[in-house]
This record gives sequence, C-alpha cells and structure tokens, in this order.
Amino acid sequence: MTLGGYRVDNEAPHINVTHLSVAYRDQRILKDVSMTVPGGRVLAVIGPSGCGKSTLLRVFNRLVDRVSGVHIKGQVQVGNFEVIGDHVDLVELRQKVGMVFQHPNPFPFSVFDNVAYGPRLQGVKNSNRLRLLVENSLKQASLWDEVRGKLRRPASSLSGGQQQRLCIARALAVSPQVLLMDEPTSALDPLSTAKIEELVLALKGRYTVILVTHNLQQAARVSDFTAFFREGHLVELGPTKEVFTTPRRSATEEFLTGRYE
Amino acid sequence: MLRQSFRAELQQLDQELIRMGALVEDQIRRAVKSLTERNVTLADMVIADDDRVDAMEIDIERRCLTLLALQQPLAGDLRIVSTILKIITDLERMADHAADIAEVTVRLGQEPLVKPLVDIPEMARLSSSMVRLALNAYIHRSLEEAVTMIRLDDDVDHLYSRIFDDLQGLMQDRPETVPQAIHLLFVANYIERVADHATNLGEWVIYMVTGERKELND
Repeated sequence: MTLGGYRVDNEAPHINVTHLSVAYRDQRILKDVSMTVPGGRVLAVIGPSGCGKSTLLRVFNRLVDRVSGVHIKGQVQVGNFEVIGDHVDLVELRQKVGMVFQHPNPFPFSVFDNVAYGPRLQGVKNSNRLRLLVENSLKQASLWDEVRGKLRRPASSLSGGQQQRLCIARALAVSPQVLLMDEPTSALDPLSTAKIEELVLALKGRYTVILVTHNLQQAARVSDFTAFFREGHLVELGPTKEVFTTPRRSATEEFLTGRYE
Repeated sequence: MLRQSFRAELQQLDQELIRMGALVEDQIRRAVKSLTERNVTLADMVIADDDRVDAMEIDIERRCLTLLALQQPLAGDLRIVSTILKIITDLERMADHAADIAEVTVRLGQEPLVKPLVDIPEMARLSSSMVRLALNAYIHRSLEEAVTMIRLDDDVDHLYSRIFDDLQGLMQDRPETVPQAIHLLFVANYIERVADHATNLGEWVIYMVTGERKELND
C-alpha cells in the first residue's frame, strides 16, 4: 500500500546485531553484543544507568557517530541494510530508523509543518499528498482527533504528551521501518504515558520498536521481548513474560528485584 | 540494601502465613479429635474458628494486593507474592474441610460409632503434617522439601482407598450402618481433599523456587 507516493504498510525488518562493541576512546561501552530483534515486535532494553542501553539505541541510527573518539566494531543489520561501515548512507538509514527522545522536541513550527518536515525534505511538494501524509501520520500517532482543525497552531501550544505524540507522528511521516524510543515517557504524566504506551502497542506489527526505559512496568506492559544489559554486556534477552517472572540469569533477577548494587 | 521495606513486609507476611498454617493444621487435628472423642463442644469451636481462618486469608490477601500495587515486585519476588496468594486459598479450603468434619461430629451427636476409628485419625495426622512440611518448604525456599512432602500424598490416598473398602464392606454386611458409614466416608473424603490441597502448597513452593508449574498429584 502506498500513500502520497510513500509506502505506509512496510514489512518490519528483523534487526541482527553480531559481536557489536562500542568504545569511546579507551572506555568500553558495549562489549561483544550479539542479538536478534524479530521484525514487528517491541524490544524493551533495560538495565542500570551506564549499562550501555542508550548507546546501543544510538548505534541503530548511527547517532553514536556524533560522539568524538567513538569506535564501533561488529555488525548490525536492519533487514538487509548494513548499519555499520564507512560507506553507509546515513540519510537513508535514518529514514528507515526513526527515533523519539526522552523530552519532546518539536520544531518551532506549526503542528502541520512538524509532521510535513521529513516528507518535504524527501521532495514531496504536492499539497494534497502532504495533507494525506500528515493526517495519516497523526492518526497513527493517535493525535489526529486532538489536533484536527488546529494544524496551523504552533507545536509548542500542545501539551507535553501531545508534543511527544507529535514527535512520533513526525518520525512516522517518513515511513520508517524501525522506531527507536529513548525513555519516551520519562517526562510525561501518567495519562500521557498511558497514551504513548497504547500507541506503542498499536504500532506493533507495522514497525520494529526498540524501547529503552527505566520504567520496568512499562517494559513489562508494552514489550514482547526484553533485553537486560549490565556493564556493557547483554546479560539476557528473552520473551518479556519470561524475563519478568522467571529470569534465567541471577544478575537479571537481582536487578528486577532491586537487589542489584 | 535496596527495597528494605518490601523485604520487611515480606517477612511479616511469612509470619502471618505460618500463623494461618498452624491454625489450619490445628483445625484439622481438632476436627478429627472431636469426631473420635465424640466431643460436640470441641466441634463447635472448630466451626466457630473457621471465621478466624477466613479473616486471616482476607488480611493476607489484602496485604499481598497492596504489595503488588505499591511495590510491583518482579521475578522471584513476584513469584513469592503470587505463591502466598495461592497458598492462602488452599489453606482456607482445608479449614473449610475441617469445619465440614466438625459438622459431622455435631450431626452424629452421641450415636455410638459403627467401628473404631483408626485409619481416619492416621490419615488426618498425615495430611496435617503435610501442611506443616509444605510451609516449612516455603519458608526454607526448598525444592527438595516440597518434593518430599508431596510424596506423602500417596500414603494418604492409600489409606483413603482402604477406608473406602472397609466402609463399603461394612455397609454391605450391616445395612443399618449405612447412614453413619456414609458420614464417615465423607470425612475420609474431606481429609483426602486436605492432602490434595497440601500437595498444591508443595507445587506452589516448587513454582516459587523454580518458576515452573508442575502437577505432581493426579
């Protein structure tokens, strides 16, 4: 299915990570991580601060490159797309792999122009196509009903929760296959958090979602799989309901039961 | 030490669970004693004390739900709290059976027994010791103790089928014993159910320790 010349019903790809190590100068952040994220599923990444989970997220869209002195070793594939390497087209990668950050960061434009920003960069000029794309993205982000008729208002006039869903709509507007979410609700109230969580559940199947969160209950509520990281190592990755009830590794047990020191 | 208040509350819950278990064990023992000694007063006490067991179940259940809501335990901690919730249900059912046995005592009044009670008290002794052993296994978080106590259920089942055959023979030989023999058959059945619930306790302890649900009595 296409909309405005863009594919909107994409095949969510598997993500394969093979022997991934990341270091900043001589500090090793991720140590020989290998894992597979099944396509269309939600993976929650949990672990204590400094375990490498945010770095992992930033490898998937190569945002990690922006840190000086970073050194990446290993392989990461999003579907058939090689993520690591000198000749990777970062624009193409970031079109495939969208990201939502901890704090909502709408551009200082209108609601409409925020969502239309990516498609416009990609060359969509037809106003009807743009309107359809914006509407479709806002619907997917469960924001359409709240902002229809207010599309010309500044994005900053929206509540924090609405702004975060706007950022998700903006990410979806360029038809990504993967959505990275870095603590997407840590700045939101419980009601807005619930809406984002519902949204993640609704996006399941169409996108491969990787969610970094400190909120263990959130990981339990929305994810299919959970990966526990500690000190740069992937300790355990398994179906969420198993990891949260009967973890296989004692380090995971210690973390989940608050005994980790 | 993290989550100290959670640990403290769990320890208190353990204490309450032990108290409830001890009361249930006592209820079973006293119910069968009331029957063998034809002591209607004791039977009335057992029936009245069933309310205490019910109140304990409700209290422990409320505290578990509060813990789930406020502390959101995970992994091993989650298994402990859910095990407590399941154990108290089984304990409460056992106490109901003790009250059922006491009701039989009341119903029989001073009517002479059609046969001396030997196997029924032995079955009750075994079943109530299963309760104690299961709670010990819970406190020690011991898989081995749970597996060992569950095996006692076979002895209880063996006694039950012997009582069944005895009473059946008695009813065939002396039809006038049928009304009382039926009551005694019910008593044996109640005790057999108590042992089944005790087996459940053991199975929940196994789940708590290993994360695996196993049906060991069938």
